Amino acid sequence: MIVAKLIDTTLCIGCKACEVACQEWNDQEYTLGTFDGSYQTMPDLAPNFWNLIKFNEVEKNGGTSWLMSKYQCMHCADAGCIAACPAPGAIVQLANGTVDFAHDNCIGCGYCITGCPFDVPKLSPTTKKVYKCTLCSDRTAVGLEPACIKTCPTNCLTFGERDEMIRVADIRTRELKADGFKDAGVYNPQGVGGTNVIYVLNDVKQPESYGLPKDPVIPWTVQLWKGPMKVLGTLAFVGAILGAFFHFVIYGPQDPEVHGHDEE
Amino acid sequence: MTKSEIRIPRFDAYERVMHWMAALSFLYATLTGLAIWSPKLYWLAGVFGGGFVIRGTHPWSGVLFSAVIGWMFARWAKTMGLDSDDKVWLTKMDKYITHQHGALPESGRFNAGQKMLFWSQVVTALLLFASGIVMWFPEWMPRSLRLIAIAMHPLAAIGSISGIIVHIYMGTAAVPHSMRAMLRGWVVPEWARFHHPKWYRQWRDSTNIR
Repeated sequence: MIVAKLIDTTLCIGCKACEVACQEWNDQEYTLGTFDGSYQTMPDLAPNFWNLIKFNEVEKNGGTSWLMSKYQCMHCADAGCIAACPAPGAIVQLANGTVDFAHDNCIGCGYCITGCPFDVPKLSPTTKKVYKCTLCSDRTAVGLEPACIKTCPTNCLTFGERDEMIRVADIRTRELKADGFKDAGVYNPQGVGGTNVIYVLNDVKQPESYGLPKDPVIPWTVQLWKGPMKVLGTLAFVGAILGAFFHFVIYGPQDPEVHGHDEE
Repeated sequence: MTKSEIRIPRFDAYERVMHWMAALSFLYATLTGLAIWSPKLYWLAGVFGGGFVIRGTHPWSGVLFSAVIGWMFARWAKTMGLDSDDKVWLTKMDKYITHQHGALPESGRFNAGQKMLFWSQVVTALLLFASGIVMWFPEWMPRSLRLIAIAMHPLAAIGSISGIIVHIYMGTAAVPHSMRAMLRGWVVPEWARFHHPKWYRQWRDSTNIR
């Protein structure tokens, strides 16, 4: 069973209870954020801060929209972090779709940071390993919902079987459209095979206004490096070694005594 | 004394130390780099103390290698310039590969193939160094740079390693006595006259040993 988090941004009141619940459950030490004139706790996610409510102020139709959106690992079906990771077993995809980091195997190279189209994983300067939301895999493993979901007071956050979450999201979208949000829709980007964190947005045509990328894909340089370049490298190395070996077999060494040389 | 007892100095101690520092740091960087390049080669990490260890040491070996390449550049850049004979040599490289030495213009201290290896290593070392610094500190580097570096680093490494595979073959099996030149520093006149005739004559004219 694939599970998913559903974030209905239209119901988020920006209380940040999910931020606190995440910190508490994952036993994170709180680091003072940066005040930059916004209600946002800190500008970006951090190695010990995996769940951030973004307070997006967007000029729209002559007024200002205050769009709050929960920002964390998207648990992609086709995850860029896994594609980029060189250490077997450092990033695992559980049977329920959760993308989880196994820190015993993490070498701290940070390739996952570059592979992730959502710029989520963060390298810790103290442990030299990379951290992000685990979808509370230690809770879901025993049938509990993630801490953020458990604490949400407005039902903005729900958790369950992925197909069910998509069905709920579609119903909610229809309600929003009936209420006049004609561009309301579900954010479940297909460029990464769909995500196990899906959003209901009141304007799905402009996900950027919520701080979400419009068409996230695994970066093409990462795909090039993990795909064609490996074939090229293998051909080059094996070709050079075999070429050298067979050159020796055919022509042998360049020996002045064998080839001779006129005496001067 | 017979000719084969004459020793022509080819690489002085500085050049030999320089070369082997480059070789050892290159070998280490290559093996640890291959380990991080592909999960299929990750077993190599275990040989050097595990992935977490090589993530720390690989960049330093690259810094050392780049520094030695800088030293090499300072020492050899002038010698490695292509003269008109070298340019002809390059167009007839197939003759070199098939051992038709009579059809080739004479080489100086380094032949055109060696010079091309030198320049290709200088270029790839620059690319590897620049992209390596970006990949070393992903948390401080802008995403756009990291995306370029992550493709440029392995691409430059493929070029560099392929060149060195050929270089190792040339220096061991393909050209007898060249390994001794790089380890102990000297060659015999027959070798010098066959492989580097212009350089041999310079030596001959500057000495009264025959």
